[in-house]
Amino acid sequence: MSEKQLLKGNIAIAKAALKAGCKCYFGYPITPQSEIGEFLSLEMQQKNLGYVCAESEIGAINMALGAVAAGAKAMVSSSSCAVSLMQETLSYAASDELPIVLVNVMRAGPGQGYIYPSQGDYNQAVIGGGNGDYHTIVLSPSSVEECALMTYQAFYLSQKYRNPVILLVDGFLGQMAEAVEIKENPYPEIDNSSWCLQGADNRPSRKIHSLEPNQDKLNQHIINLNKKYHTIEQAEADYESYYCDDADIIITAFGSMARITKAICNHYKKRGIKIGLLRPKTLWPFPYQKLRELSKKTKIFIDIEMNSGQMLKDVKLSIRDDASISFIGKPVGDFLKFEEITYAIDNIIKESNLASL
Amino acid sequence: MQVYSTPKSIKKDSKFTFCPGCDHGLAIKLTAEVIDELNLREKTLAVASSGCSVFLYNFLDVDCIESPHGRAAAVATGAKRAFRAQNKDRFVFTYQGDGDFASIGLGESLHSALRGENISIICINNTNYGMTGGQMGPTSTIGQITTTSPLGRNKNYHGFPIKAAEHIALCEGTAFSARCTLYDIKNIINTKKQIKRAFDCQLKGLGFSFVEILSSCPTNWKLSPKDAHKKIENELSKIYPIGIFKDISND
Repeated sequence: MSEKQLLKGNIAIAKAALKAGCKCYFGYPITPQSEIGEFLSLEMQQKNLGYVCAESEIGAINMALGAVAAGAKAMVSSSSCAVSLMQETLSYAASDELPIVLVNVMRAGPGQGYIYPSQGDYNQAVIGGGNGDYHTIVLSPSSVEECALMTYQAFYLSQKYRNPVILLVDGFLGQMAEAVEIKENPYPEIDNSSWCLQGADNRPSRKIHSLEPNQDKLNQHIINLNKKYHTIEQAEADYESYYCDDADIIITAFGSMARITKAICNHYKKRGIKIGLLRPKTLWPFPYQKLRELSKKTKIFIDIEMNSGQMLKDVKLSIRDDASISFIGKPVGDFLKFEEITYAIDNIIKESNLASL
Repeated sequence: MQVYSTPKSIKKDSKFTFCPGCDHGLAIKLTAEVIDELNLREKTLAVASSGCSVFLYNFLDVDCIESPHGRAAAVATGAKRAFRAQNKDRFVFTYQGDGDFASIGLGESLHSALRGENISIICINNTNYGMTGGQMGPTSTIGQITTTSPLGRNKNYHGFPIKAAEHIALCEGTAFSARCTLYDIKNIINTKKQIKRAFDCQLKGLGFSFVEILSSCPTNWKLSPKDAHKKIENELSKIYPIGIFKDISND
């Protein structure tokens, strides 16, 4: 029987990783995610699992590349500017189809930035910071409980599709404590014996590589990868819909920003204005179809992010041309306050004559 | 009567695609022979790197992963730790060039040695970046003419080369570090012996083991295979001395 504990998002991720069967963790300290490595350092050593205080983030993610190729579930965690260092190997892992789980507990950038809250790594995670035609699955939790649940999901999806998965966590969420119950891992185990490298015993030797000097083969490899990405887009795009049916206005927000937005929806409901929230839980694949469908009825969209408008582009691509889109955002610092958001929304309502509805 | 046959750990009907006179083929063959003799084929994971050394996986008939440029020691570290975490007894080694091991990957290489990772590394030192056409590398010697040191490597202008085997020997986590070469039969036999010693260190769980093989690159050195090997005998092995710099296996 598990019970409710007061846990930071970072600790919830670490605990869920162990329950998901993570056998190896490799990391390098950076605020605001260091608790993940600190927590796992004792647990993994005591359980005779693999833990390396890596020499750098580049070292850490390449250790993960080796570990998953050797058939073990492995995780790395880091933050923003240091996740930038890992992009080369993410590109390799995507091409090699190796299931690395990477947790990015975001801080503010660009460059070193600071440890202030920000959602500035949407583009890096969703579009990809490495070279070539590839995608990583990106999961976006908005509560400490979801930090744990999405850690399970990250391991599962990474194994199911043999693809790297990024758990994109607001620094705010990594550091915030909530009363949560770390539930059991709901996902089945995926057999990796058909591809992992544990020695050519009673089978032909295998090689995992991204180098391909034959252009036809390289072409075909990328086409195959994209078929897989298409399957993922069809099957795994996930979202939370809050009061979206017959809404006058739909707000799009991810991660921590979506929590504040729910209070906004409730506030306007009392005033007789129907505002819904569509929160993508998977940032890639993005729930394009759901948003497009919603824009048949609802014609006013507002995107709220703690950045300069990164998910905004995906929302714009989703909604129909006859729907309008506004952006409310702030790149870094204290999260947007309730009053700041309602002030901006009131103005949008005035301009759109919605108050007369 | 002894009949020569291709090592079991070399893929059937494979033909080396290296330049004439290049030592990569011989180094891979010796590695395969040692894998056979130690019965490691079924339990080995080889980590290839970037540069000419990456083609290891086309010839060696063991499980193989390609590493991003310079990160082979980190990939091997992760794999070895993962095998241990899964209670699997597996043999992990990397096969890298000097640019990969001692330039772009020096951080990963040195820290693996410092931690005493129980992995083995074979490093082909041919004193230049071979695959990209012979640019100056971390091991290019003072005076060496390359495509990016057209006037010869100048210690005041370009800086000094690295002696990898000696550096690795200084690390507390290193169990074995040696340099050998392949310019004649005696040295070929010695090289195989050192690879075997290095691999044996891992099998005994002693820590990091390293073999630097001073090798030819006739194409980029613009020498015939014969003259390239003469250069190793007369010049390079004086700068990069052949020998064992650390061996704790007999302690």
